[in-house]
Amino acid sequence: MATSIDMSLDNTFENPGRRAPLVLGGMNYGEVTDNVAHIWEMDRPPRTWYIVFSIAVVLLGILGACLFHLIMKGTGVWGNNNPVYWGFPIVNFVFWVGIGHAGTLISAILFLFRQNWRTSINRAAEAMTIFAVICAGLFPGVHIGRLWVFYWLFPVPTEHLAMWPNFRSPLLWDVFAVGTYATVSLLFWYMGMVPDIATFRDRTKSKVGKIVYSLLSLGWTGSARAWHRYEMAYTILAALATPLVLSVHTIVSFDFAVSQLPGWHATIFPPYFVAGAIFSGFAMVVTLMVPCRSLFKLEKLITIRHLENMNKIIMATGLMVGTAYGIEFFIAWYGGVSVEGFAFWNRAFGNYWWAYWIMVSCNVFIPQLFWIKWFRTNLVAMVIVCIFVNIGMWFERFVIVMSLSRDFLPSSWAMFRATEIDILMLIGSFGLFFTLFTLFCRYLPVIAISEVKNVIPHDHSHDHEDGSHGEAAAH
Amino acid sequence: MHARRPGKITSPVVSLSTSYVKLIPLGLIVGAVGLGVAFFMSLGSDNTLKRFSYSYLVTFCSLLSMCIGCLFFVTVHNLTRAGWGVTVRRIAEIIAMCTLPMFLLFMPILIPMFTGHADVYPWVEDNWTDGEPNEAFQRLKDTYLNVNWFGIRMVAYFTIWGLMAWSFFGASLRQDVTADPQLSRKMQRSATWKMIVLAATIVFSSFDLEMSLSPRWFSTMFPVYFFAGGVLSAFSVITLTSLLLQRSGRVTDEITVEHYHDLAKLMFAFVVFWGYIAFSQFMLIWYANLPEETFWFRCRMADTASTGWKYWSLLLLFGHLLIPILALMARTVRRNKTYLLFASIYLLVMHWIDHFWIIMPQYNIGSDNHITAATNPLMFNWLIDVPCAVGMIGIFVSIFCIVAADRPLVPLNDPRLEESLNYRNA
Amino acid sequence: MAHSHKPEKKKSKGPSSKLVSLVAQFDDPDSLVSACDRARREGYRKMDAYSPFPVHGIDDAIGIRRTRLPFFVLAIALCGCTFAWVLQYYVNSTDESPLFPGYKFFISGKPLGVAGIPANIPVMFELTVLSSAFAAFFGMWILNNLPRFANPLHRISRFRRATNDRFFLELNADDEKFNENRSRQQLEEWGATAIEECHLDTTDHAIPKGFKMAGVVLMFALLLPPALIYRAAGMPYPNPRLHVVPDMDWQDKFKTQTVGPNFSSDPLNPSYLFEDPQAMRRPVDNTIAREDYGMQFDEEFVNGFHGEAPSPETGGAGPNAAAAQDEVPAQPQVVEADWLKEFPSQVNVDVETIARGQQRFEIYCTPCHGYDGNGNGLVNERAVALNANGLAQWTTAKSLHDPAVKSQPVGRIFDTITHGRATMGPYKDQIPVKDRWAIVMYVRALQETGLAPPAAALPPSETAVEPK
Repeated sequence: MATSIDMSLDNTFENPGRRAPLVLGGMNYGEVTDNVAHIWEMDRPPRTWYIVFSIAVVLLGILGACLFHLIMKGTGVWGNNNPVYWGFPIVNFVFWVGIGHAGTLISAILFLFRQNWRTSINRAAEAMTIFAVICAGLFPGVHIGRLWVFYWLFPVPTEHLAMWPNFRSPLLWDVFAVGTYATVSLLFWYMGMVPDIATFRDRTKSKVGKIVYSLLSLGWTGSARAWHRYEMAYTILAALATPLVLSVHTIVSFDFAVSQLPGWHATIFPPYFVAGAIFSGFAMVVTLMVPCRSLFKLEKLITIRHLENMNKIIMATGLMVGTAYGIEFFIAWYGGVSVEGFAFWNRAFGNYWWAYWIMVSCNVFIPQLFWIKWFRTNLVAMVIVCIFVNIGMWFERFVIVMSLSRDFLPSSWAMFRATEIDILMLIGSFGLFFTLFTLFCRYLPVIAISEVKNVIPHDHSHDHEDGSHGEAAAH
Repeated sequence: MHARRPGKITSPVVSLSTSYVKLIPLGLIVGAVGLGVAFFMSLGSDNTLKRFSYSYLVTFCSLLSMCIGCLFFVTVHNLTRAGWGVTVRRIAEIIAMCTLPMFLLFMPILIPMFTGHADVYPWVEDNWTDGEPNEAFQRLKDTYLNVNWFGIRMVAYFTIWGLMAWSFFGASLRQDVTADPQLSRKMQRSATWKMIVLAATIVFSSFDLEMSLSPRWFSTMFPVYFFAGGVLSAFSVITLTSLLLQRSGRVTDEITVEHYHDLAKLMFAFVVFWGYIAFSQFMLIWYANLPEETFWFRCRMADTASTGWKYWSLLLLFGHLLIPILALMARTVRRNKTYLLFASIYLLVMHWIDHFWIIMPQYNIGSDNHITAATNPLMFNWLIDVPCAVGMIGIFVSIFCIVAADRPLVPLNDPRLEESLNYRNA
Repeated sequence: MAHSHKPEKKKSKGPSSKLVSLVAQFDDPDSLVSACDRARREGYRKMDAYSPFPVHGIDDAIGIRRTRLPFFVLAIALCGCTFAWVLQYYVNSTDESPLFPGYKFFISGKPLGVAGIPANIPVMFELTVLSSAFAAFFGMWILNNLPRFANPLHRISRFRRATNDRFFLELNADDEKFNENRSRQQLEEWGATAIEECHLDTTDHAIPKGFKMAGVVLMFALLLPPALIYRAAGMPYPNPRLHVVPDMDWQDKFKTQTVGPNFSSDPLNPSYLFEDPQAMRRPVDNTIAREDYGMQFDEEFVNGFHGEAPSPETGGAGPNAAAAQDEVPAQPQVVEADWLKEFPSQVNVDVETIARGQQRFEIYCTPCHGYDGNGNGLVNERAVALNANGLAQWTTAKSLHDPAVKSQPVGRIFDTITHGRATMGPYKDQIPVKDRWAIVMYVRALQETGLAPPAAALPPSETAVEPK
């Protein structure tokens, strides 16, 4: 396969008549497989992988220690107080759930919108989703206090208690929403991975690998009949996951919005939370994929154009979030309800003004840099912007939760102070996340091999780009 | 195996050709008769102009949100470099272009506000009350809701929409002649900031046009609700227009069943999205049960049998959400032109019913939130609201014909035309 | 690549292997599709294609019908949605207990049942999605006959590239049109770059009997833990329970009815935070319960008498008051208040109030006065027993059927509950005014019915009270 000039590593050009190639270097099917499978097949991963993995494991250990301490001592080790009953755990929960939205969004919504560029990044993003949801579930999970009766969260029939969970509580909706989301994401991720695991199975020379991958790939052969049903099931799962992904953060937003607390009760919350979730999730995907692609030499598959597209989505969702901030402020004034007006004034200029302005700078101002192409296409610059976005999104949840510090009764006003355990658990949750993610990178297909093969032009029959295989077919 | 079609237009007729000359007066006649009947029937009400204006506003808002929905479709289509919908984009461009003439249709609402004859918006009066009188509250509202400022905002919205629609439409028409692919790129680049401006104008116009009918009520979700319904009706009207044009032998080759399939999927998606937004808005207000918000829903679904509003709300729940979801779920429906013709008309009617539900209950409760069945009966009148709607649709068809004239109904030289013509659903 | 490549016969033991199919390799998807197309036109029906990714157009080429998976998913989705609603209705909107008791409770004013459906929609939605996702996922694998680990195709080493970069067409040997030589020729004609034979090993590989037995035993063994748990549920256990988290089980806190913090280390000279050493503070004098607010102006309702307050000898007796006074309740020489003879207008005289009264009575009064009001409550019996041994000083609880009590006006009984008599303490802080009246009404009902079980005679007692 001769490399033509168009196949150079820059595919960020704008040419309305031509779709940009999604796989560079004129790779054929075998080369795509080789490129992805080499991560698992190489004898030992690059040194950087070991460094990242060991740091992550250390942080994971810290998390474990904190959890042990927490369970032994009780939730008093956190800074949660009266009136800020919901301190860090809910902030971290919403933060991680938000990050967990990008994966399913990329795999499901972009799939339905036929955005072919998703193929190179969806697998890693889905994995990230699952790991982020695990991190998210951790916080409310340990917040329940008596961990050993966690099953009271579910409608388990008990003869002696004669009690059931309260199905009219948004916190119970959360259990169902996050549980469903984790399950469906896992099914979706695993199902998408089966053909690629079969590829690993058929290539590996390791005995253990052969057994494990054989079991995981369920005996997949790539039969046309199987593919037919597989594609149908994939479409159905995508169609289900799309409203699901919206519903999860909607329900998370209900935790706040069904209350009567000024600053929490706003009808815009559901779409605004969803936009924020996509925003932070994409930022996390970019933050992960940039080092990942250079570490494992995936530049031809995860091209600059992929990253640029994601950066554009980050900018767009950032603007949506900014618009929601604006509408909230306008309505707080227009509504003429004094407590509501005070809550918003207090957010911007009150006791947590600094958190508010960190949030606005990171979420609204800094992403505007993506209007400039250099920021969208420069690897270092985009990672820095994306890290800011994630900081900003963490602070967004912090700002919302800290509305509690100024409730209706001025005598109960109090500041929230995070304890060391709070901070260590937040850091430790990153350890859990990165441990899982580094393991995933090493042992499972990071890129959806079979899906990428579908978007590379049939090498022999086309000498120019095939429109329908290009970047985007719908919107 | 399917042969690839070249990116060339092959239909014998691609414009309205001369028949638009006949359609314009026909539409205007329908309009005059319809509005005339509606006004005549309104004479029986306690306040003729108010009753007529409310009915007028319902159809006006339905049509306007539809035009804005089309403008959104054009913007997002350019913004995302979409290829599949090139052949239906022109129809959306034309309908989006109708927003500017729609300003003339707004005059019957706007002018009486300045001459002091209007009772449509309760805040126009000097000493309006909405529930408990509260002077500080009113003064605050009056800084935003006053006639002059409202007029300025309206002029601004329509100017912005008109200019945006015109710049897309103009560039697209120029491309028909010059075949310059760079025009597509320009449209894409300008679509970025236009999207932001569009979002801002939708937010505030929805507050002004519909939310301020009840000056006390507020909901941050309302613009999204307005937008969701508008985009849904936009996809319906694009489908409907394409089907009607094809039935009359125009653009027969370019818009294929694949495009209809996609439009139907988008209709389905926005039915669900509308339901999501409507439910979230209702749910949050229902659950928190705060008096300053709940009254708005209470007067739309009061539990007494004698106010029909409860049934009107249920009509929306089933007619606007559940039935379309089930109907549009089936692939056969989405690929069948007859079903789609019915579905698009049906969804447009539902869109009108939705705006009726937003606007009409305010007719009786401008001055009092504490409504009963007796003070807030269902305001639907076959002889006022239906002729009014038919008349305005007639006028709208005339506007459409004036804008479309004998211009091509598909982009002739769009660089992505070939992709669109060869587009297939997997 | 020569097409005359020797078929790779894996070590199938002996002759017991059978040709299942011919597998032809193609190098690109388009030639696979055209080969499938030709095979179908040649009349082959039992065939399949294998590719590393879904090849477009192949469904038509080998004649795959649209799968019915979506209908299956839709059916399961509707079931999931219904189940979710029924579940929520059952557990939160009804007390019926066909299997397990439901738990009907109002919270934040949300209506029960159908009217409260908006609050049920989130869970209904989630369970619909969950059930349909399971249906799509498992339905797909079931329809595809997967997992299937023993597939003869996996024995062909060339076939490993089917998941990488090669495309295969398989013609089954049991197709009517199949003829080994002719089919092989045709495949070559259609552009196959290599052809393999796929053999099924038909040697008997039955599982040894021992394994089967072991499997059965294992399965029964797996049932043991749940069986043990089931048996253990509700069984008394002699050892104290395990304390996983001691701080939670024994918390460092002052409980009600105990002595508060003592700052002095000298046991003889304690120094408490408050003058009154109790851990719990008493409410400020004249504190009124929230629900009773406003009632203090209805004096008759709150006090149980008209006008002047009774003299201290009659009312307001605490536990330290002379017991003798209670023995003779309506002594003429004492200034007696003008007790209410009928229930005040704020109290509804009906079955509901009596039922409420019964419930409150059984909580507050039965320990001493007994369920039937005979003064034979458990506390009383125990105290009398202690009295007999000289271990306590106890005035026997009064029988409410005592004529002296029976003749008391309702206001007087109300006052007794409010302020106490003799050893009986005041209950005004524990029982709200309305409930005190309800108890009085129940006491009246008990008295009317004599010593009979009170519930039997509730309605007559109601009418008996009213006409007065």
